[in-house]
This record gives sequence, C-alpha cells and structure tokens, in this order.
Amino acid sequence: MSATLIATDRNPWYDAETGVLDRRIFSDSQIYQQELQRIFARAWNFVCHESQLPQSGCFFMNYIGEDQVIAVRDRSGAINVLLNSCSHRGNSVCRAEQGRTNSFLCSYHGWNYDLDGRLVAIPGQEAFYRNDVDKSKWGLGKAAQVANYRGFVFATLDPMAPPLEDYLGWVGRLGIDMLASNGDLEVVDGVQKNRLKCNWKLAVDNLYDWYHVKISHGSALRIGYAPEEAMAPMSQMVILGEYGHGIGGPGITQVELDEYAARMKTGGGEPKWYDMMAGRRLDPRVQQMLGPVGNRSFGHPNIFPNLWVTQFNQVCLRVPRGPFETELWWFTLMPKDLPEDERRIAIYMANHTFGPAGLLEQDDGENWSHSTRGAKGAVTQRLPLNYAMGRGHDRVEADPSGQSRIETVVNEHGQRWTYRSWQEWMQAESWQELMAHHSPAPSGVV
Amino acid sequence: MSAYEDLDLQQRMLLTFEAQEFLYREASLLDERRLDEWLALCTDDIHYWMPIRRTMNVKDLDNEFTKPGAIAYFDDDKRTLGLRIQRLAVGRAWAEDPPSRTRHTVSNVRILSADANEILVGLNFHLYRTRLDSEEDSWIGRREDLLRRENGALKLARRHIYLDQTVILSQNMSNLF
Repeated sequence: MSATLIATDRNPWYDAETGVLDRRIFSDSQIYQQELQRIFARAWNFVCHESQLPQSGCFFMNYIGEDQVIAVRDRSGAINVLLNSCSHRGNSVCRAEQGRTNSFLCSYHGWNYDLDGRLVAIPGQEAFYRNDVDKSKWGLGKAAQVANYRGFVFATLDPMAPPLEDYLGWVGRLGIDMLASNGDLEVVDGVQKNRLKCNWKLAVDNLYDWYHVKISHGSALRIGYAPEEAMAPMSQMVILGEYGHGIGGPGITQVELDEYAARMKTGGGEPKWYDMMAGRRLDPRVQQMLGPVGNRSFGHPNIFPNLWVTQFNQVCLRVPRGPFETELWWFTLMPKDLPEDERRIAIYMANHTFGPAGLLEQDDGENWSHSTRGAKGAVTQRLPLNYAMGRGHDRVEADPSGQSRIETVVNEHGQRWTYRSWQEWMQAESWQELMAHHSPAPSGVV
Repeated sequence: MSAYEDLDLQQRMLLTFEAQEFLYREASLLDERRLDEWLALCTDDIHYWMPIRRTMNVKDLDNEFTKPGAIAYFDDDKRTLGLRIQRLAVGRAWAEDPPSRTRHTVSNVRILSADANEILVGLNFHLYRTRLDSEEDSWIGRREDLLRRENGALKLARRHIYLDQTVILSQNMSNLF
C-alpha cells in the first residue's frame, strides 16, 4: 500500500479547519482497500435484526465490508456471525441470501459445518486424510464479537473492539432507541436491495443532508407526496457522538412539544409540520428512553460507518461493493402489536418512499453516482469539495441530562463529523490507537 | 373462469390476439411516455405489484417472493400510479430528466384462464432502458396481467410483476413495467 495516500495531519483528506474535502476519497482504490481494513473490519457492523432469525437454523446473509457473513441462530439459541468461506478451498458454504438449514455443507468437496461454525464432517477423513486432520482447528472464520442492542444484531471482526454499547455511546444508542421506542419490533418480510454506481460514503453523507430535499426531491414535494415544511424544516438539531455516530435533521423545542401536547388535548389549533412525528413523543416511556433532548429530535441517525436509521420505521445499510458501487439494503421494522390499519399505512409508506422505486429515492442515486464520477477525472479530482456550510456559526449546547446538541438551521455538521471521524479511523493503526486518539464529540463553537 | 384447457382452439386464438393487441398498445404508450393515456387503460381497482425476490435454496422456494401485504418494490393502486405519472410532469423529477429511453417487449403471451369479462394472461417481458450517454438497464421477468372488459374495451385490472433479479442492479426503477 502506498504511503503517499495515507492522510497526514499536514496534508489531510478532510481539512477540519476549512471544511474542505479531497475528492479522491471517493475514487481511489487504495483508500477503498484501506477502508475495508481500517473501518469495516474494525467497526461494529449491523448484520440483521433478531426477528429475522426466529428459530435455530434460520440464517441471513450480509456483508461486513466485502467479507460475506452469515448470521445464523444455532441450536442453543445464540446468533453466530460466520465468514462464508470454506476452510478447505475458500468456496462459499451458503449461496442463499436467507433461509433455514441444518448445517452449512460446502458444495465443492462436502466439508460440513455446524450452525456455530464448527467443522463437523470431512468426506474421506479416514480413507484420504488418514485421520490426520484436526477438525477442531478448521471451523469457519467467525466474527470476533457479536452483540445485540435492543434486537439489532451487530458484529465486529476485530477482537480489540470495545463492547458494542461503549462503541455506540449515548448517541449511537439514542439513534437506535429512536426506532426501538416504537415498540417490540420485528422485521416485515422483504429487504429491498439495489445497486448504485456510487462510493458508499456519498450515500452515507446524504442521510444528514436536509439541504438537497427541496431540489432533489422537488417533484415528490410538488405532487404533495410529502409536505415541504416537514421534509425540509428550518429548525434543525444535530447530535454528534464519538467514533463518528451522529443524528442530524429536524428538531423542535420543548415549548413546541408542550404546545403540541396542549393542542392534542383541546383538539384545536393549527397543524404543524411535526404533528405526524410528535405524537409518540408525549408517551412518558418514550421520553424516558430518549431523554429530554433526544425526545425533541426527528433527525436521521447514522450508526458509523453505514447504518442509517430513518424517522419512521426503516433502517438502510449502505453496503460497499467496490470504490464505485454501493448497495442500499432497506429493512422495515414494526411493532409486533401494531394495529392492522396502522400497519397497512406504515407498509404503504415504506413501499412508496424509499427503495429503488420510491417516490423520493428514485431521484437520489444519479446524484451520488455522478459525484463519484466527478472524483475520477484526473484533473476534476484535484478540485476540492465544499463541506463548509455554517462552519463556525453554531454552538454545541450542553444539557443537564448530558445530551449535548446543536440547534440551528440546515447545516453540514453531520457530514463534517463523518469525514473527520472517518479520517481518524483511517489514520489509526489499531483499535488501541483509535481509542487513544479519536476526537471527543465537539463542544463549543462548531 | 375457464381454465386454459377448457377453451377450444378458436377461443384461445381470439383471446390471445385480443390480449396481445391490448398489451402491445399499452407497451407503446409507456415507451412513448403517453402516461396519462396509459393510466386511463387501468381499471379504478388496479393492483400493480412487484414483490421482492430472494435467492433461496430449493427447499425454501416457498418464500422466494414476498407475499402481498409485505414489502414490495411496487405495491400500487390507481392513485399511487397517478402520483408516479404526475411526478414526471411537475419538474424536478431528476431520474427522468433528461428522460430515459425505454423499450417494452412482451412475449410468450398465453391465456391462463378467461370468462366473458376477464382474461388472465401470463407473459414474459423485457424492459430495456438506456439513459444519458452510456447507462443501460435490462429488466427481464414474468408477468401475470388480468384484463377486464369495461364498456366493451379491455382494461388492465391487475399487473403482478415477477422480476428475475434479486438485488436490483439499477440505481432506480423510475419507469413503469
């Protein structure tokens, strides 16, 4: 790997002082390979929701970076995350993207692995191997750690990674709580998957982007599919957490929330843009779970590196498939006890908003693919990108609860925090170094 | 409805010809972007649906497609089809501006069942799309279309689209099938 492509403090890819970004991070194949090593192979990655694996033998295939992994429930009820590659010749031991099985039998020579990854049978063990093979040493590769936060199953391939809850920190946990507070969730059958010709980071940075809505999604607003005041409200809240997690998007004040509560009691008053989302936030259990600041946020969380949690009932994984390709995987999660009519409406929203045919999302992909293309040109890639919106004009405000946040207008704090954190991940040689040298969540003027 | 086996040759010829004429006409309306005219060919209770297909082992094939009421790529009624069409007319529908060029090809048309009011047609389709200078998408699959006679003319009452891709290898599906 060429050392010249390692960003140094003197010559960073992302310059935190100016909010300027080097486009090569969207096109350079060495940078991409380093991301696979230093970000995906190191981070806690979302693999599935526990409801997708209701019984032993149920499995769901996913990727950690470009390492294909099988999340599978074993006979003890535990969820294992196994690398999908036979120890003999490296062939896949599972071809289906989901299903149920008793074991993983390699289609090449028949090495057979149990649901926990142990190698249990080798054809010809006696006749050909003369019993000179120790099966206990040749199981499938496994995630170093697997953990479940409120039903969301994460895995890391790095044994040095801190525990999941520490990794998420309060911001990552809040991001998941914003969805988990809907109730006892289960995945609705069907993960939408489509492939874009864009670098994965452009798909990630867009989830914080409340600047593009009126333009990119102008047609959806104009036909009234989504109201403009709810899709791009002036009042925004940004919450930034260690290791690159963040929540960015609409937020309301406590006064507005109180006014909403009063309005709901009397049935009078003018409807506001947040009415569709605020109802749940009057529930004391939700307030308890989200905290006083989190309860006022309707923003988009990103669990670093690539899990977007939406405002309603979905999460979207931005799966890297090479420097120039990304798959979007949409999971829809609903409370098990949701009344049938509410469920129907929620599924209607899920089926019509995002995904490749979604009335909103149809118009996103080409922007990101052309941004990626713009990072390929020999000269174009030398031109810096401006991520400086509002830089130096906002302040992180503390809260007695400890939930610090920025309350402002449309901004690029989330994107800047993503690239600043991304750069720290890329510079660190190990988890130990990342833990020692990563930036604390910003405070003061940002 | 009478099953295919219960129809005699002449009935099948007439029904197949009639269905093909309808299908070719509506395909050309889509390619020519005469979408309001296309929508007028749909009954008020149309169900336009493309479930999600998954790569499954043989023994799990019962679950290859998501079921109605679960997640789908398209799960539209006449109103939401209308929204998709209206979207293209109001500006800032970037996925189709500049417009992509499409070609709908319909083949292997066969009558699955029929009665005096309705014809259930099975067919294979190929939707080819090219866009800007070098974008290409190709969607191939099977469809089941229910055609219904209203005031003497055939209309589309149901379109169930079973795509052959599992991961959709396109940046979007901004066109109608």
